[in-house]
Amino acid sequence: MIIFTAAQVLPGDVGRAILGPFADDRAVEQLNEELGTNRSVFVQYADWVGGVLRGDLGDSYAFRRPVGDLLWPALENSAKLALLAFIVVVPLAVVGGVAAALAQGRLPDRLISIGGLSATAIPEFVWAVLLIIVFALWLDVLPVSAQAPAGAGLLTEAKYLLLPALALVFVLFGYIARMARAGTIETLDADYTRTAYLKGLSRRTVIRRHVLRNSLLPTIAVVATQVGYLFGGLVVIELIFNYHGIGELLFRAVQQQDFPLIQSTVLLIGVVYLAATLVADLLYSLLNPRIRLARDE
Amino acid sequence: MDEAKRRVDELRKSRSELDNHLIDELAAGKISRREFVRRGSVLGLSLSSLAFIAAACGGDDDDGGEGATPTGATDTTGGAPQAGGALRTGIIAPAGALDPLTVADEGGLAVLGQSGEYLVWSNEQLELEPRLAESWEPNEDGSVWTFAIRQGVTFHDGTPLTAEDVAATLNLHADPKNKGNALSAFGGVLSAGGAEAVDEATVEVTLDAPNGNFPYLVSSDNYNVIILPANFDGNWERSFQGTGPWVLDRFTPQQGVTYTKNPDYWDTERQPLADTSELRFYAEDQARVLALQGGEVDILSQFAVVGGEALLSDENISVIEVRASQHRQVHMRVDQEPFNDKRVRQALALVLDREALVEGLFQGKADVGNDSPFAPVFPSTDTSVPQRAQDVEQARQLLADAGVGDGFAVDLSTWDNYEIPELAVLIQNAAREIGIRITPKVTDAGTYYTDFWLNSPLGITDYGHRGVPNVFLTAPLTSEGTWNAPHFANAEYDRLVADYVAALDLDSQRAVAKQIQELLLDETPIIFPYFYFHLSATTKEVTGAEPTGMGHIDLSRAGFTA
Repeated sequence: MIIFTAAQVLPGDVGRAILGPFADDRAVEQLNEELGTNRSVFVQYADWVGGVLRGDLGDSYAFRRPVGDLLWPALENSAKLALLAFIVVVPLAVVGGVAAALAQGRLPDRLISIGGLSATAIPEFVWAVLLIIVFALWLDVLPVSAQAPAGAGLLTEAKYLLLPALALVFVLFGYIARMARAGTIETLDADYTRTAYLKGLSRRTVIRRHVLRNSLLPTIAVVATQVGYLFGGLVVIELIFNYHGIGELLFRAVQQQDFPLIQSTVLLIGVVYLAATLVADLLYSLLNPRIRLARDE
Repeated sequence: MDEAKRRVDELRKSRSELDNHLIDELAAGKISRREFVRRGSVLGLSLSSLAFIAAACGGDDDDGGEGATPTGATDTTGGAPQAGGALRTGIIAPAGALDPLTVADEGGLAVLGQSGEYLVWSNEQLELEPRLAESWEPNEDGSVWTFAIRQGVTFHDGTPLTAEDVAATLNLHADPKNKGNALSAFGGVLSAGGAEAVDEATVEVTLDAPNGNFPYLVSSDNYNVIILPANFDGNWERSFQGTGPWVLDRFTPQQGVTYTKNPDYWDTERQPLADTSELRFYAEDQARVLALQGGEVDILSQFAVVGGEALLSDENISVIEVRASQHRQVHMRVDQEPFNDKRVRQALALVLDREALVEGLFQGKADVGNDSPFAPVFPSTDTSVPQRAQDVEQARQLLADAGVGDGFAVDLSTWDNYEIPELAVLIQNAAREIGIRITPKVTDAGTYYTDFWLNSPLGITDYGHRGVPNVFLTAPLTSEGTWNAPHFANAEYDRLVADYVAALDLDSQRAVAKQIQELLLDETPIIFPYFYFHLSATTKEVTGAEPTGMGHIDLSRAGFTA
């Protein structure tokens, strides 16, 4: 409902946005009539909700084809990019964070913490441009855009996606590593860790069996919240790399005031976010017996 | 020479009064050869007879002192292009569905022009080249134009092109019911039903009013009017139906189009060289520039100096400049304080250092404007009208005379597009010198065009290229003009513009142009700071791409040099 209202109060009218500022007034009126955008706000909303309930997302105003035709490929693209970024960043950041925690206050900790934070402080699009200049233009080893040619194999696609994924890795690393570090430090101080040491277990076993399991809980929550950012939050990255993901689609939909497309895209981002949070909760209970047991009681 | 004169006389007998008048103008030295060719092409004289008459009747060899003309032609350093290969061209992502009726953006029109063709092609010199129309001719006063339709041309699905198809296409665009974008050009000129196939190969177009430049309105300049089959069903994206040199292979919305060359293409001189051609869509300017630099595309249909600086200095890139009439208008509302006094408007126009704007914003790749739509590129522009130059002292004096010597504060509305925000700041800085305190208000396009464009006391609006100044003269400036942001209403001006539009020969067009230019320079409802060039680029390995100021790119003769 909020998205809907916001989309409606966007300045300008739909026919005008599609046909451009210099289009003939008659043409604009005619198009609005045809699209139904001259109807009342409530009628349009009811229309859309009715469609969604029947599994029909409607037609895009600007592209005049079913929203699904545009939405699903974009979702697939976003998923590929997010997956690659996670595959690289999550293990890296967790290992980094834990290593920093174990070396708390010493040089490796300082390097990882300060390096990670500095990288996070630089916006992803700056990283994107830097990476393009270095790897695509100077060294000429990776492509400048992320969209692999149609029918490309998995490896080729990964090659095309590497640069944008790396830009995301830089931004996410510091964040996730910090969480992993904080979680680890907390568990290292916990009573059960001391008990484990006192009963004579080796440092290795203590870390693996007691520390890691507990310390990764907050990290998982953080990773889950980043899913929402990866789906829909990457407008600039997707534009720079000419990648047709959810962010780019949303950007163009808003530019064109393409109401059914905006609505459905935002709805989809919401669903993805919810799903990610749900998966995180499930993982939580899997890793933490206390949550599981609490439910059983 | 006598033999030549005799042959010219022979030719003259077969031509209309208007054609003969044009030949007189050339013989009397009133127009240069280039203008003769340009103007003659509008009236439907064939290029070969134009060249012959031009040689026989003399006339200046060139435009003379108009300053450096950008190359206009493609770069020749790489040698002749070879046949074969797969071309990859980066274009601006089309803004919406690819429908010939509604396309209104540069990306969309570039796609239309690959598989589709126009009656007439408006080339980068603003000369008209016959395409699907073999020739054309006006009646006495220019109210009826007759087009001879090329025979033996087929659409990509094999159906032959007929005069019926042409008439149906024109009527389709002229009918307000079809919500076509071309209505902005056809409005008041051509009504639905005005085009009629009188036989298999002839279309007669009866206009609402005489129009000396009608062939431009059915040329590639009015980019929507690619000729479609009479039974066109509205779904162009399915087949990209047309008669052009490139046949659709695959279209992926948002991503791009691939074409194969049309083996049955009618024009033997423009048979595609490359085997295939791919257009890749880029939503972001920076991504397009990087794509060319990174070797992902061979050709870039368009880039701007702002954001494309890297291409101008890259030694692996050839830049193609086409002089154009695209520009920005700085409009002032003449019906409201503070700009209701023309001295105030003149003052603001006088503080601008136009040469510096052209240098700073475009690295010199623009013409200086003289506060009228008559861009230097138009043949009808009277270049003897003195150029307005920066004069801060006079500006200060004018403000004092107008009773606002202490200056005033005003908002400058515009939107975030290429160099416009920088232009706004440069105007702000220049105006400060005479006490006008400008606050730039930069919004997005939607907000600007809905809330500010036609109501703001001071605004900057962008205008794309046109082959003739007609639309620039009418829409933003006549009393009835639909885009009249300055709210300018001047009966004398309206009358002059009507005269200009109806004028059929260059001599009388230029005479009216001079009066319009002087009137606008005096009234200054709009500041025209510059007309910027259309820039395209290719890698050094590619030559033969022919962009136009409008944003079309003819790739039929483009190819790899090695």
